[in-house]
Amino acid sequence: MDIGIGISQQKNITSALEEALWQAKAQLGKEKINIAFLFSCPEFASPSLLKTLHLYLPHTPLVGASTLAVIFNSHIYRHSLALCLIHSENLKVSVAAVKDIQKRNAFLAGEELGTKLLQDFKFERRDFAMVFSNGLLEESSSLIRGLQDRLGTSFPLVGACASDNLRFKETYLYFNDELLTDGAVGILFGGKIIFNLSSRHGWKPLGKIRRITQSKGNILIKIDDRPAVSLYEDYFARDLPSLKKDLKYLSTLYPIGIYLEGEEEYLLRNILYIEDDGSLICQGDVPQDSTIRLMIGTKESCLSATQQATEELMRGISTSVSIKKQINIVFIFDSASRYVLLRRSAEEELKLVQNTVQKNIPNKLEYSDSNIPIIGLYTYGEQAPLKALYYMGKSHFHNQSIVLTTIGD
Amino acid sequence: MQNLLNLYQLSPFLLILTVIGLTVMLIFKMKKIEELNSYVAHLKRSLDEIDEQAKLILRTDIELNKIQEELDRKIIALYALQRISREISTTIDESEIFAHIKDSHIEDMGFEKALIFLWNEKKKKFTEVFNLGYNPQELESIIEDLDNDFYLKIMETNQTISSFSCSDEQLKEKIKNLFKVNSFVITPLLPKEGNRGFVFVGREAMDTMLTAGNEELIIIFANQLSQTLDNARLFEKTWQAQQELERKVEERTLQLSRALEEIKMISKRKSDFVSAVSHELRTPLTSIKGYASILLSEKLGQLPPAVKERLDKINRHSDELAQLVNNLLDISRIESGKISMKLEPLNLKEIIEEVVDLMNVQLKEKEIEFKFELSADVEYVLADRQQLERVFINLLGNAIKFTPAKGKISIRASSLDNLCQIDITDTGIGIPQESLGAIFDEFYRVDNPINQKVKGTGLGLSLVKRIVEAHGGSIWVRSKLNEGSTFSFTIPKPK
Repeated sequence: MDIGIGISQQKNITSALEEALWQAKAQLGKEKINIAFLFSCPEFASPSLLKTLHLYLPHTPLVGASTLAVIFNSHIYRHSLALCLIHSENLKVSVAAVKDIQKRNAFLAGEELGTKLLQDFKFERRDFAMVFSNGLLEESSSLIRGLQDRLGTSFPLVGACASDNLRFKETYLYFNDELLTDGAVGILFGGKIIFNLSSRHGWKPLGKIRRITQSKGNILIKIDDRPAVSLYEDYFARDLPSLKKDLKYLSTLYPIGIYLEGEEEYLLRNILYIEDDGSLICQGDVPQDSTIRLMIGTKESCLSATQQATEELMRGISTSVSIKKQINIVFIFDSASRYVLLRRSAEEELKLVQNTVQKNIPNKLEYSDSNIPIIGLYTYGEQAPLKALYYMGKSHFHNQSIVLTTIGD
Repeated sequence: MQNLLNLYQLSPFLLILTVIGLTVMLIFKMKKIEELNSYVAHLKRSLDEIDEQAKLILRTDIELNKIQEELDRKIIALYALQRISREISTTIDESEIFAHIKDSHIEDMGFEKALIFLWNEKKKKFTEVFNLGYNPQELESIIEDLDNDFYLKIMETNQTISSFSCSDEQLKEKIKNLFKVNSFVITPLLPKEGNRGFVFVGREAMDTMLTAGNEELIIIFANQLSQTLDNARLFEKTWQAQQELERKVEERTLQLSRALEEIKMISKRKSDFVSAVSHELRTPLTSIKGYASILLSEKLGQLPPAVKERLDKINRHSDELAQLVNNLLDISRIESGKISMKLEPLNLKEIIEEVVDLMNVQLKEKEIEFKFELSADVEYVLADRQQLERVFINLLGNAIKFTPAKGKISIRASSLDNLCQIDITDTGIGIPQESLGAIFDEFYRVDNPINQKVKGTGLGLSLVKRIVEAHGGSIWVRSKLNEGSTFSFTIPKPK
């Protein structure tokens, strides 16, 4: 597998695109490109960007999403655009997109995406799927359930919800020459590739155990028979207007954690809005009767989770096969909440990933000359499989997590 | 059961015992339940207490986080300011200064929108030189609605206005609406020279409050910018002046080199002319001298004394004229490089002694005391024998000519690196200060009683100078009127 990554911070969209493309193509050194990933800050997201790129790469399937900053190796590039080109003789990909999710049922949109992805995969081996979706979508869990309905419940799936520059106004998705806002883009990987996934967040439970006594999809109505918002009112001694004002901040640092039997970590849920009746609108599903806790995250716990996630990822590496055949690239889907929490230490997290990956390569001689390329984006929500056997690798919607994916052939 | 009843009927005592036992057990259980209840209550209380502690932890944590965040923001902002300062302070091109301010710098200082305007006095409007966060249409509408007088007044009074410190609610709202922000800082840009302007930075977000720190940071930023503008403008001015100076120097150099070319051409024409004329003069002069000699030999008949006397004069003057023509020819030959010096190692002592021998009669006639000093490290010089002799004959001849009877003349030769310096000193009448600069010029003769009496070509020293220079040496003179002169020249030594 050959990888070419280009990145540019030029202000002019066309110049930035040309610079990134030139770098990526030069690095790839191959004419044939199986798939192109485009990650860019929201100011680059324009129809002309994709039309221009399509002129340069007319036959290459392209997917991508907007991000508050591009992650490249161990650095964060704000106001940038990155293009990642992949070539492999063993890789088969299928890409598809769905639009206007909020206007219809998110579950059905997920099903449609799954159906489209499978169209090109009649007989080949399917390995795993990656999905980029609208970062402001409330029903992300439904979308994923719809997709799983077609791909298979336990089919390995990772995903990232696009982000903007923390203004939560509009996020963008890139699909071939189209710019989507309220949509989702999927990639189905198959052929003979090797992949590894892992995810963690590092938030810890605090205070009493509580129970969801009433909920519907992603709407958390009652906790211990009281309006759900009372959880935050009690803990932070704030009234409703004050909570509403500080919600983004509070929910980023102190989300709700759903206890999952057998899982090491709680499943986190950010609060998007508070209804006047005290219901909390969450970003993912909040099943009724779940045991929940209020969660707290610190820089240390966050970084330690990143370390654990990377170590876990590298435990999947076989010692009998050359590392060059197992990891050609690492994708990072990193929650924007982590960026907010870590702030000045945000690059530390990426260095930690890079160092841990390098340190855990079984044969130290390999890759000693150059690092494995790492590319990624900041997300408003992540999809990743649960680890406990009981869940049979089923992917769930997460918040505050770092999701790592390695691909090789 | 029936059996048990029968048993109790048989032994009422046993019944009593059972009742007592059961009662004791009941009491015991009751006690246990009570204990458990109290334990549960205790646990519940503990949990509640832990939960209360959790609340405390959370509230403290959120405060800590906010402080930490504020601190982080400030550190990031200061770093950004430092980065901007570093990047713009080395910029000397005014148009480049604003291009060096990156969007991320402004964002790191805590603002997502920024505009920098400079006042264009000619057009009577503000021109935008930096823009972050506005598309062309938005920018156009801002410039259109900009209250020029208000911003000019801010610049005039060096006043900073921000949503944090401004108490005029109406004004605040007006600015917020114009720039479509919820908090802002506006501060003037006041370089000492040239266009002035103002910096605007703003935030859209409602949830972050502006602080005095933000305001101060932007004032520092604007000051830094003003200073950089000043530097750039000063540099531009200096550069322009230097360019002008360079242009003038170039112009003058061109004029001078043209003049020099002209002089060279004239000088060449003069040399050519002198050379041609001298050649043409030499042939008739030879004839004149030849005929005069024939007549004087009286082979053609006896000559009356008066005729003989006149013919003598003709002969002598012809000799002088021939000398003059020869000198002139030599000068022009040396000048045009037609004479090449036949350099060879020469024993300086021998040369000088030969010349002194030649001049001995005159020295004796005037009873001049002659002294010759040769330092030990000068033995040989590298020169053309004939030409070097001419130099000595000329200089020594001049010294004898201008030294009164019983005067002194000395020749001193010393070593000077790879050169030999020869000084010929006399106690003659000396050369007036004003003539010192011209005595090596052709046909220049110092105005003194001796020169008025004794004839000369005015070419001797000129020829000497050319010979010395053709050897790669130089010649100069020191003299004091009525005290004497020292002519010094250098000539190379053999390697």
